[in-house]
Amino acid sequence: MQISSKDLILLIGLASVIFLIAPVSLITYVMLYNNRKKRHEQEKAWLKTSFENELLKSQMEVQEQTMQTLAGHLHDNIGQLLSLTAVTLSTIKPDDPLRVREKVDSASQLAKRAIKELRQLSRLIYGQELTRMGLDKAIAFELDYLKTADLHVITFDSNYKPKEGQHDKEIILFRIFQEILNNAVRHAEATAIDVAIQQDEQSLEVRIKDNGKGFVEEEVMKEKRGMGLFNIRKRVALIGGEVRILIQNGTEIKIVVPYP
Amino acid sequence: MSAYITVNTTGEALCFVVSLFCLYKDKEPAWRLFICFLLLTVVVEVCGIYLRTELHRPNFMIYNVFLLVECLMQSYFFYYLYKTYHNTQKLLIGWLTIFACFYFAELLKSHFGAYVSASSTTLSVALILASVYFYYLLLKEEKSRPLFTYAPFWWVNGTICFYFAGIACNLFFSYLVQDRTPGIGHSARYIVFSIINIILYLSWSYAFICRYRQRILSSSLD
Repeated sequence: MQISSKDLILLIGLASVIFLIAPVSLITYVMLYNNRKKRHEQEKAWLKTSFENELLKSQMEVQEQTMQTLAGHLHDNIGQLLSLTAVTLSTIKPDDPLRVREKVDSASQLAKRAIKELRQLSRLIYGQELTRMGLDKAIAFELDYLKTADLHVITFDSNYKPKEGQHDKEIILFRIFQEILNNAVRHAEATAIDVAIQQDEQSLEVRIKDNGKGFVEEEVMKEKRGMGLFNIRKRVALIGGEVRILIQNGTEIKIVVPYP
Repeated sequence: MSAYITVNTTGEALCFVVSLFCLYKDKEPAWRLFICFLLLTVVVEVCGIYLRTELHRPNFMIYNVFLLVECLMQSYFFYYLYKTYHNTQKLLIGWLTIFACFYFAELLKSHFGAYVSASSTTLSVALILASVYFYYLLLKEEKSRPLFTYAPFWWVNGTICFYFAGIACNLFFSYLVQDRTPGIGHSARYIVFSIINIILYLSWSYAFICRYRQRILSSSLD
């Protein structure tokens, strides 16, 4: 059978395309899959960078918070005590020996109180290092410090056991805790605060409950006052956890994160 | 003279020139071997045409010998590609032994009087499987690769297209060899093979260029 030139060209074209379909499909698949892998790598790199950024931010915020407390404490307590000591000592009159003893004793008492306060303060500076010893110790220290003001009834319960390789997560969790505690004390004006850490094989739950004013999450977010809340949600999501907020006779915030 | 200038010889010669330019300083012997292999391919092709057109004698024997060289070269190159992932030395030796047995058995069976088409088909199947396995290893890798400039990928692409289309053409469209159409003067099979040859040599040339660029880039970084 003689095939016409036109038919032959068509046949050749068709045959070539058919023969090449399988390898070309395979090559295309490999390339598409590789592109997907590349995108996945980029996403992973982006997540890693944003995690590191948040971690750095959290560390800086923990330091900032410590410095703020430190400044306040120096000004309000130690500064006052030392001023009082100086005033007491300046009022000593050498020609009145009976009062000298009394004033020296008084100045000595004030100095001792200042020393005690300073010791507490030095522990606070050390407090930012506490996250290295474990989340529970850092939280306990923060709560102990709050207790010294005698304005809040505080309870703390924990079955926490530190695990290897989770330090970054702990810093972020501690910073979130500080933020929630700040909100409870400053904005919600709470007088009772319950904190609990519940740990099991795979997860860690941090629960902070207060008897403050509470809030409506949507409204807070709408009024753009919710930057703290937004940050809390963002950071918890970054460490793979979730936040549950319950507003009933105060506020209860539960943060559950994977903690293998 | 015009008989020597065909699509195949031109493609092979151009690819040889590209390989000479891009690979002569390559640090990997596996890549440098392509210069010799492509030179040999051109020589074999020219000799084949000379035997057929000038001496009017069958040229299958020269292609039979060349098939052995082709098998060694391609198998060694795949072995080199797999080396990045794991050692396949035993597999290479096993495959070459099986192929040699098959090849010589076929040669003896035909009393050295015909082209070893079964061996050629076996080689094609093995190279297709080798190419697919290379893709599998690429997919399995945790990290992505810049495939558009990854020389081994383009070399394998050319190889799989050539052997896949070649085997399909040989197995299913053998009747295409019969018809010579006025105005074209060649069988459909010849033209299909010319097309896949172009794809092969284009792909290989691009792979050599990628390899050259990679070498230049890494030497400029040193």
